[in-house]
Amino acid sequence: MISRLRYTLREMWASMSRNKTLTAATIITSTISLLLFGLTLLIQRGFENQLKLWTGGVEMVVYVKHGATPDQILLIQGALEGQATVIEKVEYCDEACATQVANTLFAGDQDSLEQLIPKIPSFFKVTPIDKDSGEVLRTLKDTFSELPNVIDVRTPDQQVEVLSQLKSFFGVRTLIISGGLLAASALLIWNTIRTAMFARRREIEVMKLVGATNWFIRLPFMLEGLLQGVVGGFLGGIFMLLINRDWTNGVRAFPVESGLEGFVVTDGYPFMVWMVMIAVGALVGAIGSGTAASKFLDV
Amino acid sequence: MIRLENVTKSYSTEVTALRDASFDVAKAEFVFLVGPSGSGKSTLLRLMNRQERPERGAVWVAGRNINEMPDSKVPHLRRNIGNIFQDYKLLTNKTVFENVAFALEVIGRPRHVIRQQVPAVLDLVGLSGKQDRFPHQLSGGEQQRVSIARAFVNRPLILLADEPTGNLDPATGEGIMRLLDRINKTGTTVVMATHDQRIVNMMRKRVIQLDRGVIVRDQARGVYE
Repeated sequence: MISRLRYTLREMWASMSRNKTLTAATIITSTISLLLFGLTLLIQRGFENQLKLWTGGVEMVVYVKHGATPDQILLIQGALEGQATVIEKVEYCDEACATQVANTLFAGDQDSLEQLIPKIPSFFKVTPIDKDSGEVLRTLKDTFSELPNVIDVRTPDQQVEVLSQLKSFFGVRTLIISGGLLAASALLIWNTIRTAMFARRREIEVMKLVGATNWFIRLPFMLEGLLQGVVGGFLGGIFMLLINRDWTNGVRAFPVESGLEGFVVTDGYPFMVWMVMIAVGALVGAIGSGTAASKFLDV
Repeated sequence: MIRLENVTKSYSTEVTALRDASFDVAKAEFVFLVGPSGSGKSTLLRLMNRQERPERGAVWVAGRNINEMPDSKVPHLRRNIGNIFQDYKLLTNKTVFENVAFALEVIGRPRHVIRQQVPAVLDLVGLSGKQDRFPHQLSGGEQQRVSIARAFVNRPLILLADEPTGNLDPATGEGIMRLLDRINKTGTTVVMATHDQRIVNMMRKRVIQLDRGVIVRDQARGVYE
């Protein structure tokens, strides 16, 4: 078993060393395609964060002054629930709940959290029956803004719609491009393995004649492709983390009122994406090399 | 050890490499396959190690009909058959030791077995002391000895040799034949395809002659003719 493992690893390394240029080209392509794939996931996450920040997943948010008494809050709730003909659902998020939401949205941004939490407002999430009517939303906004202890009422505006459109525009297109690049990586790995097998056709012929099994012959080639994919995912992940770090620093330098802080992805998600990139790299490598090693065994 | 029953093999509708060939080869027998180029000698050898399959008939090796053998069992069959070629088929980037060890390594033999068996077989073929040389540092005869060592290191039941002296001068060819004869005397069955009239006449072993895919002569202690 140990001698087989040693043999497999040695042959895999020998094959990669023999085709240095092609191996480098394959790894670079895998790195770039997986980097784009990882960035796509981060962009999607950034849009989701930003949308969550702006809409909270509901159509209207009524912010209540920090420190409002239960009676004052009940008064506002009664006013909201009194509009049963136009409001479908009212949910209250107290100050503890609001703190939790802030911790998610501003994870990693300790300065913003320290400023926000001491005076954090509680809020009502309001879902109108007719979500598409701008007129209803505007009327409700005007009505509830006048209520005592209400500090702000936010409704989705044009920016949210633009953001949703941008998310779907970039999300779909970057996914298609990264999918295309991943397919290119798989094909390049496939071609590298084919070339490696062709370069070693004499060895393969001898191996078959002395009784090596097909799996024994295939395994070093399959591992070679797998390793190229994994290295591509690993390197692509490092580049993605570096880009994300620069982006995060850049966004933090924006003025607070820019409202773009949701585009920062800092809650451990990038590391999860890195792992996904390595797994996808391994999968792409295994598919590319596995099909080549099976198809071209009779060299 | 080997039995062919009415074997026919075609490569296309126009080219019949072998037609209705039948013969038996006993254990430890030495058989020459002779005949002009294209007569079917190499096809016969390729049928015996399942590199080819016949259209009709059966090929039995060591008691098993190898045409009906599943593909997954073929590597195990080949571990009992050594192959020697006119062009040696040595791996140029490996030393003599590594070329011979390769045959054991790819069938999963442990290192200590390889370290023990390779020097022994190199001694048998007269190459001890040259184990660290690369093929290009050896003469043709020495390269063929490495090829024989690689074929024999696993102590196969059968040795198939396709024109093993074809690239060698007469004296070197004789040396190779003496080596094959020694291996045959250890109980290994040897089937050798050749054009070399001098060697066939010198060895006086069984001769099977082919002409355009048909066996035209099968003679014990025969000569080339």
